[in-house]
Amino acid sequence: MTTEQQAQLSEAQIAVHWREEEYYTPTPKFIGQANATDPDMLTRFREQNFPGCFKEYADLLSWDCYWHTTLDTDNAPFWKWFVGGRLNACFNCVDRHLTTSRNKAALIWVPEPEAEATEAITYQELYRRVNEFAALLREWGGVHAGDRVTFHLPMVPQLPVAMLACARLGVIHSEVFGGFSGAACGGRAADSGSTILVTMDGYYRNGQLIDHKVKADEAIDEARRLGQEIEKVLVWRRHPGQYASRSAMVEGRDFFVDELLDGYRGATVAPVSQPAEAPLFLMYTSGTTGRPKGCQHSTGGYLAYVAGTSKYYQDIHPGDTYWCCADIGWITGHSYIVYGPLALGTTSVMYEGVPTYPDAGRVWRIAERLGVNIFHTAPTTIRMLRKLGPDEPGRYDYHFKHMTTVGEPIEPEVWRWYHDVAGKGEAAIVDTWWQTENGGFLGSTLPALQPMKPGSCGPGVLGIYPVIYDEDGKVVEAGSGRAGNICIRNPWPGIFQTIWGQPERFKQIYYEKYCRDSGSTDWRDWPYFAGDGAVQAADGYFRILGRVDDVINVAGHRLGTKELESASLTVTEVAEAAAVPVMDEVRGRAVEMYIALKPGLSASTDVQDKVTAAIETQIGKIARPKHVWIVADMPKTRSGKIMRRVIAGISNFADVGDVSTLANPEIVEDIRHRIQAEKLARGEVPRQLTPEEAQEIKAFGHAD
Amino acid sequence: MVMTQQYLSGELSVLLAQLCAVATGRGRACEVERLRQEAETLPIVALGCVTARALRLTDAWCWDSLTRGDMPAFRRQAEVSAQLFEFAVCAGLLTAE
Repeated sequence: MTTEQQAQLSEAQIAVHWREEEYYTPTPKFIGQANATDPDMLTRFREQNFPGCFKEYADLLSWDCYWHTTLDTDNAPFWKWFVGGRLNACFNCVDRHLTTSRNKAALIWVPEPEAEATEAITYQELYRRVNEFAALLREWGGVHAGDRVTFHLPMVPQLPVAMLACARLGVIHSEVFGGFSGAACGGRAADSGSTILVTMDGYYRNGQLIDHKVKADEAIDEARRLGQEIEKVLVWRRHPGQYASRSAMVEGRDFFVDELLDGYRGATVAPVSQPAEAPLFLMYTSGTTGRPKGCQHSTGGYLAYVAGTSKYYQDIHPGDTYWCCADIGWITGHSYIVYGPLALGTTSVMYEGVPTYPDAGRVWRIAERLGVNIFHTAPTTIRMLRKLGPDEPGRYDYHFKHMTTVGEPIEPEVWRWYHDVAGKGEAAIVDTWWQTENGGFLGSTLPALQPMKPGSCGPGVLGIYPVIYDEDGKVVEAGSGRAGNICIRNPWPGIFQTIWGQPERFKQIYYEKYCRDSGSTDWRDWPYFAGDGAVQAADGYFRILGRVDDVINVAGHRLGTKELESASLTVTEVAEAAAVPVMDEVRGRAVEMYIALKPGLSASTDVQDKVTAAIETQIGKIARPKHVWIVADMPKTRSGKIMRRVIAGISNFADVGDVSTLANPEIVEDIRHRIQAEKLARGEVPRQLTPEEAQEIKAFGHAD
Repeated sequence: MVMTQQYLSGELSVLLAQLCAVATGRGRACEVERLRQEAETLPIVALGCVTARALRLTDAWCWDSLTRGDMPAFRRQAEVSAQLFEFAVCAGLLTAE
């Protein structure tokens, strides 16, 4: 075993070395049956038809009341889609299929133990389970539309049942990935203000029955520490009647769902008609400050978008058996295991466990046994399957018509294995680019109309108009070979509405960078900043390069500011951290860290040493900061963003630029006086920066 | 932000929980719990560092178990370490070298 592993270069640095690849075209058999075969569709979704083009997606749903305004931009960038419309997400995913598909499997659940029976849940059975749980939540739990309920559930059918039950009531659900710790769950439950936690006693992973209920106790403690009291814990049992946890049930707080449900057998609950813009769920994603962001997704816009992209990009037909081999605890699972496929009335497969358990053939055995014909997974899983069983697919008699890859960029070599070996050369592949915040795909190929190109996700999807901007907001032209920040010029129905409880942070992170006029209600002034770097080829296809954080080049080592700051934040005393470059005659650039401490703590060399040690340990000695400056506060914008440009100017004795718009301009002079005096006292006499260096310092921090 | 890679933090969290379970001593378990908290809360870009630190820990544990002649502990720790390494390489968090 070696301890020499180093954190890998960013995706950006790897991806730029990929050469342009040849196109692949789908088989005539696939094209002949595809949902999107009319090239006119590309015309219908052109910009001149925006936003009305999305009526085509919305019309895939059943509305209680049709909308009067497709897109309301009055409170930009808090977009409202299908205003005036009312619908219920659960009705769209369950009830409306009963007349034609009552006895068709809505979900097929595959437990991890192979000896345990696979469970097929028909639409009728799903309707029954959802109604009974919704009745329990409403009558016993006392929840109403707009309340939040947190789930900490593994990949079991109870999870989509609970999601749909909440959707039926207009209650906002917030699922925390089942593998996360109790503390992570508690933090998210507190942020959302949930008073009910739905969990499970245990689940199987890698052949072990994992004790899961124990995490509920941790979650409650953590939520309480953060000021939120979780009053009721609903515990599903993996094997009804048997309790798989060593954690004691707390009387008056913890309840077995299977026992409570006895009182609601056969109960039905009318779906609550919700405004299109009513929140459907929260999906938490990690943030740069350590406080997770609760991405708030809408009912009408989100559901229309995932239904549309499921139909046209994943080519889902009601008769397909579709398997997204991912976890519902992430946005992929919400959009493309539950809401998208069920809105289209198809059969969606769920698998409880690890894809390579008990061996590398498990995934392909499941596909063969269930007759899966659409398969969807992440590059990490594909790499794992390829590594552990490169020839396994050939041993099983399954046939995919379509395959999706979602997540990080996929290398062409791995893509070709996915196409040639896993897909047996028969399946059309869509490589997708999108994010938790987006609801559904942003970049991909329409499988029957646009050829595949390994390593590229494709152009913007229907109704999405991406653009690459440089740091100054100038467009980086397709085919130029230059990378920049990929942005979406327009709103779309699946975009999240806000960060739960943090609307200013929402504006600052996603729109401030390229907003042309903060008072404008014209969507053209509000490009969405995705935070990923990309290159656009001459054919319009995008190659996603990963994150676009600032880097500091120390003796040829490109150090990401986020890594440096993340390492500093692991020191208990540190509240905020900012990394900036300083000119260094030996190494070219060196790192200086600025640290603000938590309230009540005093500056000390001990804390400075801890920060240095944390960076050395977590990143390496090359990243050792030249100085760690402890300051009373950081220069910030009114929305709370740390102005690294200003700090970098101070460290380099350079112009700090205009600080009049900062929330705390007075701090700039305090910091400058102190830091520059200390530097001079240490004999660090500044030299005149070259024009290029001055420009570099001035531009620093623009990626924030 | 940054593609739909949140699942990587989840998978890493699960592996760190397994690592915690094979720690010999409360102090070591606490170290892994801290790493797990970071995996669950820090940006995705920090996962490579968290993984590298976890592997350095397991490396030290394995040597320690070998030195003590505690083969069952060594086997458990090496098994989780190998899973962690495989995952990290496949997820692009670490290079294989």
